[in-house]
Amino acid sequence: MNQLDTLLLISLITALISGLGRRHQLIGWATAILLTVQFLALLSISSLGYGGTVIESAVNLTILGQPLSWRFDGLSWFFALITIGAAMASSFFAAGIWAKKYKKHGGNPGLLQFAMSLNVFTMLVLLASGDLLSLFIGWELVSWASLLLMVLAGGIATQWGLRYIVYATAGAMSILAGIGIIYHLTGSFAYADLAAAASTFSTTHVVVLSLLFIAGFGVKMGLLPFHLWQAGAYAETPGPGSAFLGAISSRMGLYAMLIVVFQLIGLGKMIAVEIPFTFLSLRDLLMWVAAFTIIFPTYTALRQNDARYLLAWHGIGQGGYMMMGLLLLDPVGSAGGLLHVFNYATNQAALFLAITAVVYRTHTADLNRLGGLVNRMPLTFLVLLVGIIGLAGIPPMNGFVSKWLIYRSLIIEGMPLLFVATVIGTLGTILSVYKLIHNTFLGQLRLEHEHIREVPWSMLAPMLVVATIIFITGFMPGLVLDWVASAQAALGFTPLAYTLGGVETARGSLDMIWLCGVLFGGFGVGALLFYGGGNKAKRVHQLDNYAGGHFLTADTRYHYSNNFYAGLMHHIGGWYRGTFKWLESSLISIVSLLSGLTQILFHSYHPALFLLITATLSLYFFIG
Amino acid sequence: MQVTLLTIMEVILMPIVAFIIGLFMVLMMRKLAARLQRRVGPPLFQPLFDIVKLYGKQTQISHGMIHDIGIIMAVGGYVAAEALLPVPGMDGIAAKGGLITLAYLTMVPSLGLALGVGQCANPNGSIGISRALTSMLAYDIPFIIVIFGVAYQFSSTNLVDIIATQQAGGFSTWGISEMPVLAVAGLFAMHASLGKQPFEIYIAPAEIATGPMVEMGGKFLGGLFVMQSFQLYTASVLYVSLFLGGGENWITFLLKSFGVLAIPVVIAYLFPRYRTDDLVRLVWKWPVMLALIGIAFVMN
Repeated sequence: MNQLDTLLLISLITALISGLGRRHQLIGWATAILLTVQFLALLSISSLGYGGTVIESAVNLTILGQPLSWRFDGLSWFFALITIGAAMASSFFAAGIWAKKYKKHGGNPGLLQFAMSLNVFTMLVLLASGDLLSLFIGWELVSWASLLLMVLAGGIATQWGLRYIVYATAGAMSILAGIGIIYHLTGSFAYADLAAAASTFSTTHVVVLSLLFIAGFGVKMGLLPFHLWQAGAYAETPGPGSAFLGAISSRMGLYAMLIVVFQLIGLGKMIAVEIPFTFLSLRDLLMWVAAFTIIFPTYTALRQNDARYLLAWHGIGQGGYMMMGLLLLDPVGSAGGLLHVFNYATNQAALFLAITAVVYRTHTADLNRLGGLVNRMPLTFLVLLVGIIGLAGIPPMNGFVSKWLIYRSLIIEGMPLLFVATVIGTLGTILSVYKLIHNTFLGQLRLEHEHIREVPWSMLAPMLVVATIIFITGFMPGLVLDWVASAQAALGFTPLAYTLGGVETARGSLDMIWLCGVLFGGFGVGALLFYGGGNKAKRVHQLDNYAGGHFLTADTRYHYSNNFYAGLMHHIGGWYRGTFKWLESSLISIVSLLSGLTQILFHSYHPALFLLITATLSLYFFIG
Repeated sequence: MQVTLLTIMEVILMPIVAFIIGLFMVLMMRKLAARLQRRVGPPLFQPLFDIVKLYGKQTQISHGMIHDIGIIMAVGGYVAAEALLPVPGMDGIAAKGGLITLAYLTMVPSLGLALGVGQCANPNGSIGISRALTSMLAYDIPFIIVIFGVAYQFSSTNLVDIIATQQAGGFSTWGISEMPVLAVAGLFAMHASLGKQPFEIYIAPAEIATGPMVEMGGKFLGGLFVMQSFQLYTASVLYVSLFLGGGENWITFLLKSFGVLAIPVVIAYLFPRYRTDDLVRLVWKWPVMLALIGIAFVMN
């Protein structure tokens, strides 16, 4: 039994303990501490994050003559680090005072902790998979574990969960078909055999396999047009669960896609595949899918009036950046894509936790029913601020570094339209996150929120830790780029040449240490001018305000939140046509029509004929 | 160590230079406006007097912590951005950041201002910010296409390299003669980014009571004044660096910077204001189209 087995065993034990003891008072803390132990176990194999060699699990099974194996490399380690880190933050957040209130409102905090630890275990199994068969098993485990987390809240969450599982099952079918074809072609499920045989695949095989796998794994990632399930499913999960799901869950799709499509089938071949009647290669097509995955969900987020939905829609959009970076295939772009997985996870965890803290105090996430909370919850505001600066990709937070790498790669590779598309996404993010922070924390404080206080420390501490990580990894991106370079090497990319402060190349460098130093120096000068110059400012009440001659009273709502970007919506509002929803519902209609017709045929008119047709078709499918 | 010390010196000097030049740019703007309106205009040190006056006001009204921090971020962000913008003889940390970083760093002051205004709890201010961010979404799209074109043309995102290449080759390698279409689009986008007429939708005194500035007085408004001088400086110097070969020496540098800024300023005082959606339509149509054509030339 080696260190990898220890890690997986601890993870399994965590899930078992939190499952069996889910009614116990202290189970939240126990789960959080066990997750910390998992984190330490992961650190014991941290050599993987610094260019170490693959660790094979001692466990090997043979099922129906097919060997199943598990192993960890730099890429698995990188994703596992984010998974366990996100779970720890959410678990500690949920363990203390939050759990009491959740219980009082009819929730079962133990079940939530169990669902999260089960998710961690299944994700680790998926990340450790060493062949296509164990990959598929891990994939299914992850799908069902995340369903458990999604439907915990009941009610509308169940509907979203069911929607998710329909998509996930369809995706799994597509993956299974892909694996079936590969087995037919190579006679093996081993990664090595696929990698060796991939060079002999015909173009048709490459195209069919890539599309099957990308569609299947893309469902989990929320890649357009398979994204409709995600926002609701993540947003309706109880707060800390949303933070965990939002931070890492859909990245499992990216991980699997990286392994099968990028590493084994080989993206290099996709550049060679031209799509008929266009100038595009298969890779260009995928890059455009990534670009639209950035733009559409981001601008859908801009329209949301529920903070949780707004964040969840951004989660889908940010996945597009990761795809885009990795599809660039060069050291800089792919590093940007992988780095964004980490950065985005920290941002999203901080944001969801902060919003959960707001909901904890105000009982609503409706952006039109909040406002002015900064005076009451300053530290939560700080966490949200750090998170939105990171999510929007503005210096000095970490989100800027990963996006910078992607932008730079797009410029140097000469892809103007894709570059503009990513920037349009970023600008939309800035607008949308400002709306988020303005409508919750700035503006007028509502009368009913006059007496609320900051959330307790058991919730604040994990939030502040995540916010600190966002800042530190923005200040010294080299810390994470270490792990990214190992993950790149594991994938077969040329690792990025990096420094502690960023990258240094002949065609444009980035040094965040200097940049942050100068930026905070600038803030220092600004503060000196402000506090040093002029009289001391006098604080006034929020209603002591210029209202064009009217007197303001506390019962008058004097806060601008509804239809926040009226001028923009006047222009682009008509572009929101719900095309994807329309596609989804027409697909559902077609399927139900077909099933209805066959049912009629079967029940009422020609049962014998129907049986004959089905039998013939099945025989043709299996034998022919 | 020598290099580090020199860089730190430059990083301190560059914002000071920028501030002084920025003040004169404000003066030029007001003088031009006055001449176009057949007035005399303010005296030489009026911008400085204004700042001193605003800071010296007896009553200073703050609407809370973030209101203060917003002003600090607005000024501080630009102080930092100036260190990324090379001037003759000083490169600062331009090589450590580059063009994209500068573009994103200049969003920090806007974000700071937006946060500060948000805390004032005045809908006029919030509407102003909503309009300002919308117009940023409008003008940043052509602006970013222009940045792409320039970076691709010089195959670098490093401003120092971009300026050096232009200066080595003389006028025929300047951005404006290599990429004239992009230069026009860039000027258009720069004009919109300055928020002057006809794009001053987020100030709009007659509709939303000067928008972001509605609750600003005393040193808060003084901070915004400082921010404006930096903003004028940054926009024109960036344009000069991208298209007019930067400054070979201080004289040509100042001539070019003031000359470039004069164009949008003159247009600003000759034309009235647009509505928000008109701005979006106009900016997404003309400069974006021009910039895309410009890129097509660059990439062939």
